[in-house]
Amino acid sequence: MSDLLSIGRTGLMASKKSLETTGHNIANANTEGYSRQRVVQTTGSPIIKEGFITGTGARVNGTKRFEAPLLEKRLKSSISNNQFHKEKATQLERVENIFSEVNGESLNQVLGNFFNSFRELSNHPENDSIKSIVRDNAEFVIKDFSRITGDLENISRGIDSKIGTEIENINQNLNEIAKLNTQITKSEASGDQSGDLLDQRDLALRTLSESFQVTAYVDGKNRFVVNAEGVGTLVSAGQVQELAVAGNSKEKASNNMAGGIEVVFKNRPLSNITHRFQKGRVASLLDTRNKDIGALKNSIDDIAYNFAREVNYIHRQGVVDRPVELDQNGNMIKEDYKGKTTGIDFFAGLTDRDDAATELKLHSLIQEDTSNISTGLTPNASGDNRVALDISKLQYKKLLNGGTATFEEQYLKSISNLGVKSGKAQLNSEQSEGLLSQAQSLKEKITGVSIDEEAANMIRFQHAYQASAKVLQSADEMFDTVLAIKR
Amino acid sequence: MTRVSENSNKAALNFALNKAKSKLETLQLKGGSLKNVNKPSDNPIGNAEALQIDTVTSNNKQFLKNSDYALFNLNIMEKSLEDLSNILMKAKEITIAQSSDLSNATARKNVSQEIKQLYDQSLNIANKKIGNRYVFSGYATTNKPFNTDGTYNGDKGEIKIEISKENFIPVNIPGEKLFIIEDSPQKEEKIEKYNRDLASIKISTVPDSIFLQLSTLNTALENNDTDKIQGLIDRFDNSISKLITERTKIGAISNTVMNAKNQIESENVENASYKSKLVDADIGELFSDIAKQQQILQNAYKSGQVTLNRNLLDFLR
Repeated sequence: MSDLLSIGRTGLMASKKSLETTGHNIANANTEGYSRQRVVQTTGSPIIKEGFITGTGARVNGTKRFEAPLLEKRLKSSISNNQFHKEKATQLERVENIFSEVNGESLNQVLGNFFNSFRELSNHPENDSIKSIVRDNAEFVIKDFSRITGDLENISRGIDSKIGTEIENINQNLNEIAKLNTQITKSEASGDQSGDLLDQRDLALRTLSESFQVTAYVDGKNRFVVNAEGVGTLVSAGQVQELAVAGNSKEKASNNMAGGIEVVFKNRPLSNITHRFQKGRVASLLDTRNKDIGALKNSIDDIAYNFAREVNYIHRQGVVDRPVELDQNGNMIKEDYKGKTTGIDFFAGLTDRDDAATELKLHSLIQEDTSNISTGLTPNASGDNRVALDISKLQYKKLLNGGTATFEEQYLKSISNLGVKSGKAQLNSEQSEGLLSQAQSLKEKITGVSIDEEAANMIRFQHAYQASAKVLQSADEMFDTVLAIKR
Repeated sequence: MTRVSENSNKAALNFALNKAKSKLETLQLKGGSLKNVNKPSDNPIGNAEALQIDTVTSNNKQFLKNSDYALFNLNIMEKSLEDLSNILMKAKEITIAQSSDLSNATARKNVSQEIKQLYDQSLNIANKKIGNRYVFSGYATTNKPFNTDGTYNGDKGEIKIEISKENFIPVNIPGEKLFIIEDSPQKEEKIEKYNRDLASIKISTVPDSIFLQLSTLNTALENNDTDKIQGLIDRFDNSISKLITERTKIGAISNTVMNAKNQIESENVENASYKSKLVDADIGELFSDIAKQQQILQNAYKSGQVTLNRNLLDFLR
């Protein structure tokens, strides 16, 4: 009869444990990263009593969380993928805003105005106020070039500082994973599974996946290892390899811009791993900064450099628009009281393509005196408009990209490219968002808490508890009956 | 049957709501600007095309301005040629009348004064100015093209203007080309007027020109030199036919300009309608899309209302 009591007791215990777990599940229904748990329950080992094999009730072997390792892996890579495209779409949209018409006239318009002012000048080459207009339009061109590259550099700087914060977060996360690793090893030494700690570690890994693609596994020596794909091991059991950022000179920077930062292993400043990250926000930011923004800036610089060079080349052949003395052979004297009379550059400040758009400015002679703006090739002939005409003709000359594109075409091509890239990024972002929510939902279907289910379980376990109690009650009553015999 | 957990339910609802909302936002942006293309990625190729059309339009604006300026110049040029040929016709009439024997030395001498006036008139035309620039001095527009004795100070510069894309037309005739008849076989001996009183007579050869013809006529009339007067008739004819040729050329150029103007104007209309097709939103379609998207969003809300915050416990009493 005492067996009956102990069987009842195990039933009571098992039901209580199950109710506890149900309660735990319900309490954590909305906890991020929580996987529902269940009680692992077996029958007690049977004994042979009076020649019969008799059961000894239920035994609780601990709790276990529901796991879906493959779905978890898929979820992590969906997160990395989604974050990559999302970040790319965000950054490219910012870049696009530089080129949206909302900000006023676009560069091709400003260039068009510049050429048209030379056309106007070719109508009235002796008119000084039109020369001022030409000079103003040239200033607008210069301003627009530097606005575009300035904005591009700002965005690039913004990305740099974002990478900085990103790396800090990554380091925090790595340390947390290492800490959890130690805790898990300790608490599982007893052979029990600590579902909640595992959930926390999974969650930390998922957060890490937002930054870059992560793989995690347990190695032969039972150490939990976290790898950044393409980069290497970042956490091994309790050990952490932190990351850091390093500033760089312009020549060494991978985006060819001043102050561009690179990602390195902490305490190893020469270990440049900038190009090795895959997926996730870090790879996305670096890729946008180095490839998309870099290419765009190069293209704008190329336009600025060629534009200034071609205008200068034509302008240098012209003659200043003021009376010029001739020597006895009828040749022009190349210097007068105001300086050079021919061979004057229109733009200044350019030595090579690098940063041409930023460094472009008017030549000081043009800036100071409009009579230095040459319109013609013959001295003392203020109606000569051949230089003005030739400069305005540059608008249609295919001078860029190996003689296949005009200034405008090259500019529009760059913008179209950007538009295509940005559009693709938006589409990818939307698609990956869909895939991510699918992966999330699939995983939650297996590991997530369903209140309905838990409510049903609660009733079930409550009933089992009540029934087990009834077993104890019956045993008690049986004792009473037996004891009553003696009375 | 698949299992549904609280979070999988929430994730599905979130996704549906976000998708509907972000689509609505994009549509509303289009509704606000009434433009289909607000940034390059909305339509990369169309955006570039629209920007290119903007350049073409502003270039065309400049070309129309240039055309008007060209026409203005050409009209002045034509008027000058007309006046000039009238002067030469008159000179020719006088020449014919005075070459006959019906006239005599006195009459010729009197008429010579009229010729002097014609000379001054044609010099005035040759030195015509628009604003501060001389019309007939080639590139050297600030130099007075002809001295009183008819020598040329300008150059051979032909000023060109772009009236439509890469279409350059001349808007002036250098005085040298118009007044001086270079290919003429006639080379007149010109006696320097101020040296005549002196014993030494300086003789120089100059090419035949309208001025030379008039001044020769003048001297011949004064000197009653009928042979010379007669010889001038052919030379005047030469000059007049040259003027007519130049006038025809100018007329042809004016026509070209007018044609270019018409072409540009019709191109502008076409471009405007094409650009509108590229960037402007179709209002009817847009608002029906917005209404549709609003309905989708509302449905998402409603379906959320049914599943959220409702579970088995609500029905266990």
